[in-house]
Amino acid sequence: MSDIGKVRIRVPSSIKPGDIVRVRTLVIHPMERIERDQQGRIIQRRYNYINRVVATYLGKTVVAFDITQSVSENPSLVFSFRATDPGQLKVTFEDTTGGKYEGTADIRFS
Amino acid sequence: MTGDRPISRRRMLGTLGVLGVAGATGALTLSVPRRAGAQPFGLQETVQDGLKRLFGGRPIKDGAGVIKLDVPLIAENGSVVPVSVEVSSPMTANNFVKHIYIVADQNRIPIIARATLTPEAGQASVGATVRLGETGDVRAIVEQSDGGLLQVKREVKVTVGGCGG
Repeated sequence: MSDIGKVRIRVPSSIKPGDIVRVRTLVIHPMERIERDQQGRIIQRRYNYINRVVATYLGKTVVAFDITQSVSENPSLVFSFRATDPGQLKVTFEDTTGGKYEGTADIRFS
Repeated sequence: MTGDRPISRRRMLGTLGVLGVAGATGALTLSVPRRAGAQPFGLQETVQDGLKRLFGGRPIKDGAGVIKLDVPLIAENGSVVPVSVEVSSPMTANNFVKHIYIVADQNRIPIIARATLTPEAGQASVGATVRLGETGDVRAIVEQSDGGLLQVKREVKVTVGGCGG
């Protein structure tokens, strides 16, 4: 459980200016499912799952995700963006309990 | 008895003052981190209700030539099913894909995810690992910058359901 919030970002090893870069990102998170009692009624409580993911590149948002409990545990998300300048790609995951997990990757051209 | 009355009054005023300051700062610190409770994006609903809630009565056209939905035919484990959606779109400032929705008809929370894209993305392609409760259609619905809606769906056979939600 101590791994909650660990963010991994994978970008291709060689990027050229103007390329469209496909990014795979993963966060360690339980994404709690809705629980039900014996009668099948939903147990009302605050479930801890990630509901917002934002990817920024050079400070500008490229892709944002709104996700629900229908997304798997340790969610992995894929998106792409156009690499124009060297700089930082940042992905922020936010969960329903106020947890905020960030991962960054440096975009460099080779 | 009468001798200690002024002291007690002074002490009383002092404590009142302290309380007043504490109350004021307390109110300030409380009001800052409190966030407005936004309506949750995914709800327990039928897929028809969900689509109605998101798109109103807008028609959804078939997007077979434009959208590439990649899902497994058979998902042995419903709790981790990779879904990827690729849309052929120029992604220019005038014509780009605004949202990509991933929807599973048989899930109790059918609206799984919404990706909000910008022209900076360069390519409208997203993927996610989702949970599927049982065998059923998985749809990708694309909302373009002009408001047009397109969808494709594919059936996924689920051997072991992986969904509480």
